[in-house]
Amino acid sequence: MSPYAPYWEACRRGELVIQTCTACAHRIHLPAADCPRCGSTALTWASVLGHGTVHTFTVVHRSFVASHRGREPYTLAWVDLPEGVRVFGSVVGCAPEDVRIGLPVTLTFEDDLPVWRPA
Amino acid sequence: MRQELGGRAAVAGVGMTALSRGSGRSELELAVEACRGALADAGVGTADAVLSYHMNDSVGAVQVARALRIEPVGWHNDISGGGTQCASILGDAAMLIASGVARTVLIYRAMNGRSGKRMNVASIGPQEAFTVPYGMAGPIPLFALAAQRYLYDTGLTEEHLHAVVAQSRDNAAGNPRALRREPLSLEDYLAAPFVSTPLRNVDCCQETDGACALVVTGVSRAPDAPRIHTVVRGGGSGCSTMDVADDVTRIFSGYVAPRLWDESGMSPGQVDVPVLYDAYSWLVPRQLADFGLAEPGDIGDYLLKRAHARVNPHGGLLSEGYVHGLNNVAQAVRELRRAGGVALVTGFGGSYGSAALIERS
Repeated sequence: MSPYAPYWEACRRGELVIQTCTACAHRIHLPAADCPRCGSTALTWASVLGHGTVHTFTVVHRSFVASHRGREPYTLAWVDLPEGVRVFGSVVGCAPEDVRIGLPVTLTFEDDLPVWRPA
Repeated sequence: MRQELGGRAAVAGVGMTALSRGSGRSELELAVEACRGALADAGVGTADAVLSYHMNDSVGAVQVARALRIEPVGWHNDISGGGTQCASILGDAAMLIASGVARTVLIYRAMNGRSGKRMNVASIGPQEAFTVPYGMAGPIPLFALAAQRYLYDTGLTEEHLHAVVAQSRDNAAGNPRALRREPLSLEDYLAAPFVSTPLRNVDCCQETDGACALVVTGVSRAPDAPRIHTVVRGGGSGCSTMDVADDVTRIFSGYVAPRLWDESGMSPGQVDVPVLYDAYSWLVPRQLADFGLAEPGDIGDYLLKRAHARVNPHGGLLSEGYVHGLNNVAQAVRELRRAGGVALVTGFGGSYGSAALIERS
């Protein structure tokens, strides 16, 4: 089974989950079949608290994904979580020009996808 | 010479088609024209080995060898990859020469990068499972995310990115091959549309139809040609692995530059011609700092003073065109033929890539 499957199942429940290695306690995301640090395959899933900080972002003005053409501008970001991982998503609920590196954000869901809005 | 391949092989010939946005020709026709040009320029007759690199958007080495009547062909290979390969393919060729496996190596890159398969939707790897649902695909938003953080970390602004692009246009002004030759004022730069912030369309290289070819042979066959001195290739965590990277702005040069100086025994001050992979404007200051060609703390003033005017004297990928970096290597050869010295050429593939030093005394 793809290591991604439990992740997407959780999204449909409205949860953002990340993996923890039971051998070395390393937190893992993007989802993996084994721990990138120690190689253990004994990984568990747990929900995150749901807050984070924008590490970097871009406002897409010209999309290269057919389903998103006509929806520009929209904002994409990598978000640092206090759990020790970085997750990818969009930033919603504010004007693109208000997004900044360091912006505190809170988890929400749109169409079963985890997205972020200003905290 | 710390690498055994060093000083054994020389770039004896350069060939290029016209660059355009609609060649109306097949990749095979483009490749054959560039290869014939390079072989004629080298004056070595034929080649016994053929190398190319591509992303399933081109014509294979066997077909090109047959079209050139290189039959039977010796060592031939299609290397998977794009810009990351444009410097290290000199190393692949030099290794074949230095080891005695081949005598003369023909290298080409042929693409209809504007009218055919375009790079702006090229795969960026397994992380796409997580990015495409949000509307992110292709290299531009990926390297825009890195660029945004790079500007934040360094304090550089759009004024500095303008200095990179405007200098590229100025350098291309006298280059008849260049797709963009007109001056670019700050006002015009700021008015250019964003593709993915902070990258405007003018911060991205020219999608190009065309082909470029090089002939690499033993130094005894081409004693006056620019010699391949040192070639390095490598990479690691950085802008290609933003999920885990400590520094999402790190590009290949952070990995290969220390090895280049160590394995060559040369220093940044010996470089006369820096030919840097400029698929995006911000890659120029990032590489200038990584390779030790400019002080990292001084890079903003350096750009505004246009101290980078000697970088990419033909206008680079931003203005001449984008034959996946092989046209940059061709320009390094032209510069060394004209004035001698040491050229640095680089190949970018996110946080993986390559660099080479070539020299002619």
